[in-house]
Amino acid sequence: MAEATRDPVTGRETTGHEWNGIEELDTPIPRVVLFFLAATTLFAIGYWLLMPAWPLGWTYTKGLLGNDQREIVTRQVQDAAAERASWTSRIAKASFAEIAADPALMRHVRDTGRTLFADNCAVCHGTEGKGGPGFPNLAAGSWLWGGTPEAIAETIRVGINSTAKDTRTAQMMAFGRDGVLQREQVLAVVSYVRSLSGQKLTETEQARVPAGKEVFAANCAACHGPEGKGMHDLGAPDLTDAHWIYGGDEQSVLNSVHGGRQGHMPSWEGRLSPTDIKLLALYVGTLSGDRK
Amino acid sequence: MIATLTVAERQSAIALSMLVAFFGLIMMIAGSGDVLGVHGVIVLLFGLGFLGLVMSKYFEPEPPQERLTRYYDDPTKVGIVLSLGWAVVGMFFGVWVAALLAWPDLTLDAGWASFGRIRPVHTSGVIFGFGGNALIATSFHVLQRTTRARLPDQVTPWFVLIGYNLFCVIAASGYLMGVTQSKEYAEPEWYADLWLVVVWVTYFLLYLRTLQRRKEPHIYVANWYYMAFILVVAVLHIVNNLAVPISFGSAKSYSLFSGVQDAMTQWWYGHNAVAFFLTAGFLGMLYYYLPKRAGRPIFSYRLSIISFWGITFMYMWAGSHHLHYTALPQWVQTLGMTFSVVLLVPSWASAGNALATLNGAWDKVRDDATLRFMMVAAVFYGLSTFEGSFMAIRAVNSLSHYTDWTVGHVHAGALGWVAMITFGSLYALVPWMWKVERIYSPKLVEVHFWLALSGTIIYVFAMWNSGIIQGLMWRTYNDSGTLAFSFIESVVAMRPYYIARTVGGSLFLLGAIVAAYNVWMTIRMARLRGVTETGGTDEPVLPGAGAALQPGE
Amino acid sequence: MREFFHRKLERNAIGFVLAIILVSGIGGFVEIAPLFTIHETVEDAPDMRVYTPLELAGRNIYTREGCYACHSQMIRTLRDEVERYGPYSLAVESKYDHPMLWGSKRTGPDIARLGGKYSDAWHVAHLINPRDVVPQSVMPKYGWLMRNELKTDDLGKHLAAQRAVGVPYTDAMIANASADAYGQASPDSPYASGLSERYGEATNVRAFDGEPGRLTEMDAVVAYLQILGRLTDAAHRQAAAAGK
Ligand code: HEC
Ligand code: HEC
Ligand code: HEC
Ligand code: HEM
Ligand code: HEM
Ligand SMILES: [Ca+2]
Ligand SMILES: [Ca+2]
Ligand SMILES: [Cu+2]
Repeated sequence: MAEATRDPVTGRETTGHEWNGIEELDTPIPRVVLFFLAATTLFAIGYWLLMPAWPLGWTYTKGLLGNDQREIVTRQVQDAAAERASWTSRIAKASFAEIAADPALMRHVRDTGRTLFADNCAVCHGTEGKGGPGFPNLAAGSWLWGGTPEAIAETIRVGINSTAKDTRTAQMMAFGRDGVLQREQVLAVVSYVRSLSGQKLTETEQARVPAGKEVFAANCAACHGPEGKGMHDLGAPDLTDAHWIYGGDEQSVLNSVHGGRQGHMPSWEGRLSPTDIKLLALYVGTLSGDRK
Repeated sequence: MIATLTVAERQSAIALSMLVAFFGLIMMIAGSGDVLGVHGVIVLLFGLGFLGLVMSKYFEPEPPQERLTRYYDDPTKVGIVLSLGWAVVGMFFGVWVAALLAWPDLTLDAGWASFGRIRPVHTSGVIFGFGGNALIATSFHVLQRTTRARLPDQVTPWFVLIGYNLFCVIAASGYLMGVTQSKEYAEPEWYADLWLVVVWVTYFLLYLRTLQRRKEPHIYVANWYYMAFILVVAVLHIVNNLAVPISFGSAKSYSLFSGVQDAMTQWWYGHNAVAFFLTAGFLGMLYYYLPKRAGRPIFSYRLSIISFWGITFMYMWAGSHHLHYTALPQWVQTLGMTFSVVLLVPSWASAGNALATLNGAWDKVRDDATLRFMMVAAVFYGLSTFEGSFMAIRAVNSLSHYTDWTVGHVHAGALGWVAMITFGSLYALVPWMWKVERIYSPKLVEVHFWLALSGTIIYVFAMWNSGIIQGLMWRTYNDSGTLAFSFIESVVAMRPYYIARTVGGSLFLLGAIVAAYNVWMTIRMARLRGVTETGGTDEPVLPGAGAALQPGE
Repeated sequence: MREFFHRKLERNAIGFVLAIILVSGIGGFVEIAPLFTIHETVEDAPDMRVYTPLELAGRNIYTREGCYACHSQMIRTLRDEVERYGPYSLAVESKYDHPMLWGSKRTGPDIARLGGKYSDAWHVAHLINPRDVVPQSVMPKYGWLMRNELKTDDLGKHLAAQRAVGVPYTDAMIANASADAYGQASPDSPYASGLSERYGEATNVRAFDGEPGRLTEMDAVVAYLQILGRLTDAAHRQAAAAGK
């Protein structure tokens, strides 16, 4: 053990211990350390008095402010809703036509709808509503269930083939897999369907069209209409335009006819408020218009 | 290395290896058809490997009695090499993980290579592989030097070091195979956890036995910290990992706690893994290598006392700051926040004590990159603890939680503090251990320093930016009073920062590779020269044996 | 005085060890023990149900793949979180979660209220390649979930271990665990009915991955994702009550 010595640089004494050459100075604890220790401790004590803090076996100290994070957030959400009521109440009450005619309200619809759509709908329909494989394009004006805001709102509320009780149902049976149609019939109707939208067909396909036309009239027209223009009551898509949910190439159409289709759109009632649903219906309506 | 064991010690080494191999065999049989069986094979091979190694040297002559007059440093040397190996592996995975967030398809179409599985390989690789090995290696060194006592035997330290690395290997290979309990920083499954308990208790007893043999009446501050690290980690580990396996033939277990109690236990553990693994242990390192290298006495003994007990007491209350505004009752959050704030004082007192110790040695800091590593580490320690206490305030945490800000904070601590103090200490330690005057290339140390510093700064600034932008985007409202940004917009906004982070991380990784190379070349240099040249300068244990100290050691 | 004491303490290794244990032990004890004794810590929710074997298997895969590293399952009591994700999370909702998966990082969105938000088909497409459906996504692909058959033979042991840590699985649930897992993803199989008997009519019984004949890991993960936030209505009830 070393003797206490004086450090030449600081002029301080050492503690007199030494460990393999390491010594310690006997510098007193700097005042600021004690000051901040006291200050932060006082802050802590103050905070404990005001807030819920210390456990007492079966309960805990509630604090003088009666602060409760759950009550606070509930109130904040309510206050925010009350503040928004200046325009949300008008959305809730007015008819779609009235809202669409009010540019100020439509600004709120666009602002709010953009995020609401991106957080809830975009994973399926894309951020711009243009759809994707298996999910319809909402910006194309080619509607399954009709493009009026009322129809759209209803679709959003109940969903399609969803788990909601009053869901819309859109079922196309598996004509090939279930043996309703023979293989040649399926191929024929596929070619015919592709001809409806004016796609370039190969010669083999071309040759099948007349037969396909008959198959179509007998099996498909009931839902897709005699001209294949779709039927809003059944959610059957228009097969004559350039928009496809599952694709218009030969293989995709074949898959649709062979295996049938029943897309699933979730129901949003309960998850989104009625006002939000109404607002989204209007927002969806703007998706095609906004691009122009 | 095995030649330095006595015959009796070789026999216990053989017995231990056989025991490990035997357990491996049991795991292999019981766990056949399960990943447990794969781990059984690894354990079996591990045991057999060491068995073969010891057997191959079994008939070498016994080491001379004179060894008892020297410290036992072989485990420290191996620990240093292992630590650097894990550093490169762990940080390579870190860079990979970072790259995946900018280029998500930069991986293979295989389970083991996906983000969620390699992320824990990174975190455990750097914390337990790199950090843990460095802590074990330096603790053995510091313990002997500051107690003037040799480790009590030559097998226990090997058991601790090798057993610990077996744990690390089981952990990392397990993550790749999907074995995880999901508890952050405690991911390994029940059998690995049990094994670590055995290793860790042995480590603690070894430490205590050496302390009891000490020739210095007083226990030096570094040992307070190492001891707190070992003890508290043991308690945390045991409690947080309580679990019921679905069978002894399966790797899978279910945690004893659930829901809110589990969350609190996990973050009591998680936060104090930071406090006692990533802080207390490394403060022990700092308290030895910094004054040694600077050639200065510790600025204030009394400040050391306050910091030590402040840290030991207050950290243990702070874990609930990871659960602000959650389903954890608010009273616990209050305690976590207030103790985190008070905690800043002992934290800064430690950082201040370290920096004030450099008074009178600033010229050395300027010239010596090794000392500069330690100085910068102390600065980042101060910075990240300030940041931590700030983020522990509920209002701040409401923004920072769940965002990259936390990740930035983590790496200010991990790169700036943990890695820098480790590299600094290892650069100081390596020449002493291999008995050469200096490291192979001081220039490369300088290069490493700048790589590390710039890498850290790029990383941390990128994450501060991304974290704060993320937090703000999530809570920004538009004029209509509704959310202004969707979640996916925040994902898109992160991309430039994720690329920057990958760049910063790569620089840091490059630095670690340079360090590994430099140390490797130092070892080669020592080998080529042979021990005789500078040999025999190690410090004798027996008091009054009169041999000169090795300079600077 | 204190210093004198400390100089004594630092000469006594055992004393020092005990002092560390004492000083470090207080915090955790005061914060954790009362969580078991204060009743209001975990809300009452009589409708709270347990995971079915298939959902539990899905949860284990979720853990295995490290999804929790990017997704939180904890909606905090903050306005923006409640408005974006739904009612804040209650403690009771993770009462049967051994361990909890609250998460600490949101590289992806919170999924505490995900159940029912999207369709099974979407989840399958998304997990096979997130960028097929969300071009900007940075989430990894999990194609192997569709390729791997689900291991069901030890599900009974899983349920038994869960019961050992306090989840109220019945003997019948444990005995039928493997069959129930199969039945839940094969609506037309004879096993489906037993499942509803044991776990309630509201249980989702669907071919989650679109292939009723094959029980894959995808079935399990999607079944798990579809139940998130739906084990109890407590959070919605509480929000509705507060709204009045
Ligand atoms: C899980 C995927 C998914 C999500 C999320 C989703 N949808 Fe849909 N949506 C679909 C599918 C699939 C269809 C078409 C159903 C069909 O094929 O019959 C559809 C159809 C629609 C339609 C009917 C289109 C028409 O032509 O009549 C509207 C409108 C619509 N979605 C709007 C929304 C809105 C608004 C949201 C968000 C609140 C949303 N969707 C979320 C999958 C989704
Ligand atoms: C019971 C009514 C019904 C009948 C009959 C029916 N369809 Fe459909 N079809 C639908 C519905 C509804 C959809 C949309 C399903 C969806 O969106 O998931 C659809 C979708 C399609 C699609 C996919 C369109 C796209 O955009 O990808 C094709 C192609 C198609 N039908 C062709 C046919 C042909 C050919 C037949 C006759 C062989 C036929 N359908 C008969 C109801 C029917
Ligand atoms: C690298 C981070 C990462 C990992 C790991 C990850 N995800 Fe994701 N996840 C994301 C991101 C980013 C999004 C948002 C973009 C998107 O929808 O793909 C997301 C979105 C999701 C969504 C849609 C949530 C919503 O409400 O829109 C689900 C469901 C999901 N992930 C499930 C999983 C599952 C299950 C796993 C593990 C098997 C997983 N994720 C692993 C990053 C990740
Ligand atoms: C080459 C340098 C490094 C790089 C590129 C890197 C990169 C990363 C990345 C990308 C993550 C994941 C973040 C996320 O999920 O968003 C991460 C997490 C983490 N890293 Fe590193 N890292 C590096 C070095 C280190 C070191 C040296 C340590 C510790 C000593 C460390 C400790 C951690 C920890 C603890 C986490 C988890 C953070 C959390 O859960 O909040 N890293 N790192
Ligand atoms: C006074 C000291 C410190 C305090 C009060 C503190 C506080 C905090 C807080 C508030 C968080 C964020 C929790 C959240 O929102 O999820 C955090 C995260 C973290 N801190 Fe610190 N910190 C301190 C020092 C350090 C140091 C020195 C390190 C060293 C590396 C460190 C490593 C970490 C890690 C790894 C995490 C991430 C945990 C996770 O989510 O996975 N902290 N800390
Ligand atoms: Ca564990
Ligand atoms: Ca299936
Ligand atoms: Cu913490």
